[in-house]
Amino acid sequence: MSKWKPLEKMKILGKKYPRIDGAEKVTGRARYTYDQFKEGMLYGAILGSRYPAAKIVKIDDSMVWSLPGVKAVLTDVHPTGRVRYVGEEIAAVAATTPEILGEALRLFRVEYEKLPFTLYLEEAMKDEAPRVFPRRSNVNKPRIREEGNVEQGFAQAEVVLEDTFRTQVQIQTPLESHGSMVYWDGDELIIYDSTQAVHGVREGIAKMLDMPLHKVRVICHHMGGGFGSKLQPGIYTVIAARLAKQANAPVRLMLDRQLEFLTTGNRPDSLSRIKMGAKRDGTITAFFAKTYGTAGIGNGAGVRLPIVYSIPNVRHEHHDVYTNAGAARPFRAPGCPQASFAMEQMMDEMAEKLGMDPLQFRLKNDSNPTRQKEWMIGAERFGWHRRKVTPASDPGPIKRGMGLGASIWWPGGRGTKASMKIYSDGSVEVFCGTQDLGTGTRTHIAAVAAEELGLELKQIKVHIGDSNYPRSGASGGSTTSPSVAPAIKNTAEKARQELGKILAEHWNVSPEAIIFSDGYVIASGEAKQRLSWKEACGLLETDVLEVHGEWSEGLSSSGVAGCQFAEVEVDTDTGKIRVLRIVAVADCGLILDRLTTESQVNGGIIQGISYALFEERLFDPQTGAMVNPNFETYKIVGTMETPEIEVILFDEPERGVIGIGEPPTIPTSGAIANAVYNAIGVRIKSLPMTPDKVLQALANQKA
Amino acid sequence: MYNFEYLNPTSLEEVSEVLAHSDGETVLLAGGTDLLDRLKEHLLRPRQVVNLKNVRELYTIERNEGLTIGALVTIADLAADAYIQENYPALSQAARSIATPQIRNMGTVGGNLAQRPRCWYFRGVEYRCLKKGGRKCYAVEGLNKYHAIMGGGPCYIVHPSDLAPVLIAYGARVTISGANGTREIPLEQFFQLPAKDLKKENVLNENEMITRITLPPQPENTYSLYLKFKELESHDFAVVSVAVVLHTRKKRITDASLVLGGVAPIPWKIPEAGALLKGKELTEPAIQAVAEQSVKGSDPLPQNGYKVHLTRNLVRRALTEIQQQL
Amino acid sequence: MSEKKNNKVKGITRRDFLKGLGSGAIGSAILTGGGLIPAESKAELLGPGAEKIHGTQKIELLINGKKERLTVEPRTTLLTAIRDKLHLTGTKEVCDRGQCGACTVLIDEKPMLACMMLAVDVRGKAITTVEGLSGSGKLTPVQEAFVEKDALMCGFCTPGFVMAATALLKKNPDPSLEEIKQGLAGNLCRCGTYPKVFEAVKAAAAKMRKGVAHE
Repeated sequence: MSKWKPLEKMKILGKKYPRIDGAEKVTGRARYTYDQFKEGMLYGAILGSRYPAAKIVKIDDSMVWSLPGVKAVLTDVHPTGRVRYVGEEIAAVAATTPEILGEALRLFRVEYEKLPFTLYLEEAMKDEAPRVFPRRSNVNKPRIREEGNVEQGFAQAEVVLEDTFRTQVQIQTPLESHGSMVYWDGDELIIYDSTQAVHGVREGIAKMLDMPLHKVRVICHHMGGGFGSKLQPGIYTVIAARLAKQANAPVRLMLDRQLEFLTTGNRPDSLSRIKMGAKRDGTITAFFAKTYGTAGIGNGAGVRLPIVYSIPNVRHEHHDVYTNAGAARPFRAPGCPQASFAMEQMMDEMAEKLGMDPLQFRLKNDSNPTRQKEWMIGAERFGWHRRKVTPASDPGPIKRGMGLGASIWWPGGRGTKASMKIYSDGSVEVFCGTQDLGTGTRTHIAAVAAEELGLELKQIKVHIGDSNYPRSGASGGSTTSPSVAPAIKNTAEKARQELGKILAEHWNVSPEAIIFSDGYVIASGEAKQRLSWKEACGLLETDVLEVHGEWSEGLSSSGVAGCQFAEVEVDTDTGKIRVLRIVAVADCGLILDRLTTESQVNGGIIQGISYALFEERLFDPQTGAMVNPNFETYKIVGTMETPEIEVILFDEPERGVIGIGEPPTIPTSGAIANAVYNAIGVRIKSLPMTPDKVLQALANQKA
Repeated sequence: MYNFEYLNPTSLEEVSEVLAHSDGETVLLAGGTDLLDRLKEHLLRPRQVVNLKNVRELYTIERNEGLTIGALVTIADLAADAYIQENYPALSQAARSIATPQIRNMGTVGGNLAQRPRCWYFRGVEYRCLKKGGRKCYAVEGLNKYHAIMGGGPCYIVHPSDLAPVLIAYGARVTISGANGTREIPLEQFFQLPAKDLKKENVLNENEMITRITLPPQPENTYSLYLKFKELESHDFAVVSVAVVLHTRKKRITDASLVLGGVAPIPWKIPEAGALLKGKELTEPAIQAVAEQSVKGSDPLPQNGYKVHLTRNLVRRALTEIQQQL
Repeated sequence: MSEKKNNKVKGITRRDFLKGLGSGAIGSAILTGGGLIPAESKAELLGPGAEKIHGTQKIELLINGKKERLTVEPRTTLLTAIRDKLHLTGTKEVCDRGQCGACTVLIDEKPMLACMMLAVDVRGKAITTVEGLSGSGKLTPVQEAFVEKDALMCGFCTPGFVMAATALLKKNPDPSLEEIKQGLAGNLCRCGTYPKVFEAVKAAAAKMRKGVAHE
């Protein structure tokens, strides 16, 4: 297996080129799961629990059945009948039209025995709080991380700071909701699913339905966003399959926006109590954190502290806390934005206490050589030297400030398999059971194949998003590119070798002499033979050349660094924070496509701004229902909130392909918070940083 | 959405005919941006939906000594009207601040005035709140950061209209038609507090509709401004908004009208503003006095105290902006 | 009749059904194949063009320059009509409440939200969906620019953005960045592709102005 060519020899990789499915997407021809239709298809929906904690005494579906157009009903979708959050699946129905479906859902008569519930992190932690699981404390046993000796570290410290930070629950809420269109073909189940893992869903659904793997097929040609929430098989798919069986008809079941908000995952909230010690020279000596977070009825609310900076003595105790809410799921850089919001503010507080510039303080405590370079590049481009030293020094009610934060990520990827077919007319097909979440995977596959075969992008037909194709893992954790790109390279290389053998024989040269370049196959050296790609493939006559390849070592790596600089404007009359400008330096390894890479970084930053300023799941304390399961009151950054964003891609092609999706969303909220402090001289220690909090903080400062 | 019968009258006369036969289960459909939302949430179950969009009489923008605006004029058309931009600039500002380009193309003036509150408890079918015949206002012990700081009780909604505060500040009148004829009242009297009637926000009877708004002419040297504070600039209702209309002569204020949006269950007029400013120049102390007056008697809920600061600051900012134009 | 069968199977009479609905005052409602339909209004509408629609109705919509016949109920939204009845699925369903712009279509050239309109309300109007922009198969300058600038990621919001941008440029051929942001403020993107959308609209505007100058 050979290494990647040097960047200067690349024709496609590392360059800017539009995605290959762009035209399909801008014309509406791209068919998502939500767009799948089959003759006789029914519309399915799930009835969610109305209460956050209850026993289901009885579900009467007789009214539902009496509505003309209702074709299938399930009242046994909950395994125990003991529900633990509003929206938890308790029944389902399929009907002939969306209108009838909406009406049918309102005709279930459900008798509940209501039970006490607890909704918020800090309330659920109290001894008297109702238990989410009767035999378990709401507060889980701690997970402890320890490095060095934290007592000694604090003893060495000359300055010790303590502070507390809070972050909110954020919902992935992709625009295409979770859901499936399913139909039975005999005893085989065909599933169109909006998923980040066609193979994972096949395995999961087969297990849940107790079916052999080969009788389940999962397809996802295009998907409308996931951000981590679509990595697992969905109960909605099982429900759709059962409804389809009962009605003997295809069923499309897409969650409505409310259930999307309630049941398909979230980024857990956090409470972080932090103590940090440093020497006068700016060396951090010790870090202690006690953190809590709620993943609803699930686990995995960890806060990845300390994040980014190198500290010799660390102790971190974390407790997951149960609440009556839907379980968390991975959300772009799980555990990291929560940690970064707290960490970056602690760093700034300490820098201020030590009388150091925040950037200098970071440089002193950041051991990552890539980021050391990135800090300088970003600071220069951003104009960090123009940051005012004294916070809140602008005259007038509208004040500006600057702040910064760092990003980090760990996983690489592995494990992808792929296959390639080359036909005698020169056409090329690549098959890989991965999926394109909008990151550009389909395009990257074409790019790697074209680069390796010396062809153009448009000559490669890419087939992905089908569990019939060679296995690839879930697209999550920024693992897709480092996992898929090497597999495609390996597959293309094998194809080249096979084709090379045929041509070597044809020209009677050694196979090593065959070169694939610019649409030609060339015998290098003395032979000076040359055939166009198409002519060369003609030698295959009617045979199809089919090769299989897989991920291999040395073409991708893990570990990502980056940093961001933010400039904000705070209106002290209204409490509103406006982000004016973000400069991001993103660690990219070998870039597959500069255009889609920039888009990913933009996206991470914009979701970070949204997290910093707007988004928050809000539960009504009286009913346990979410008051804002919609895009009116669950607020998301729109065009008017989008600042000027400058993305600087920091290439290190020698590292091979790395994943870049998660890191850019990590530091944004912390960088903004630090900029807000720089603007108004008050720290906002809780997310989202909404006008009410800013006005309150300003009022407290005055008082 | 439940099924309904769709009626498509083509004249006001026919609308009256429909309304005369209504038994309280008829709703009127104009732009649909609010009504369809409530139908989809199953908040209402009308027998008949009466489409008003084919009633031509409702579309006029007519210049007379003042201005008459038909109830079906879209927000976009209102915002784009050059005469309004020139003579009632705050009305243009308010229209432009509403929702999104798409919704402005659909939503209408009448609909904007008659729209129902955005309170998340009112909008959620799971909460049987006072407005829906229930026994409590969920906002009181629940989440209330966007709720009323004035005029609330027993229900704490805020009125969501952006046009209403401005129209009231300009002294607009509203014409109401129904099966029993037509009446015209000051727009200010159109809205009513929950203390008076929990089920609705205005005096429209079930068989009545808004047909037009009439604006009086504004004297020379009128200064007006609509300032809207929203969390999301892209698409949001007002957290607080301020409509100011000042009539002046030689820099002295001859009449002043200040109406707040987003703070109370109705557009909230500050009647004292007139008395505080009349005969005076718009000086810093005068501005400060009006700003203080505007929040006098406010009675915030546990999570919306910030709206008091916000209101005071926005009133000051609005008057300061006008001061700079004078 | 499936209705009868269902009733029989489950032993439910119509009276039970109506009682079960519980919201009162629907004693005169009737059941039909399309669900529950309230009784007809006694109002007499005699004017030209006036009508009552009760139950299902065959209508004609002018979509992308083509007359499409379909059967709808009064409650059928334009979004359901075009997506589920005509299978024009380029127009996306996301929030279904007028909050995201994914279902933006042009009604007589103005951008509006298909989820918040009744299909019966747009009879006689020129409806353009994303499929109608490039009927000839050639991308419009807006579509081209969206592809070239990568103004899309997952693509689920993209048709809505393309429609809003098309309408914006028709009204304002040379928009500033601020005007682009305002013109597209009704469209939500969860992937966060806005900066590239702004670039694309700028590029499309330039291309279109150049095109006009050449003609």
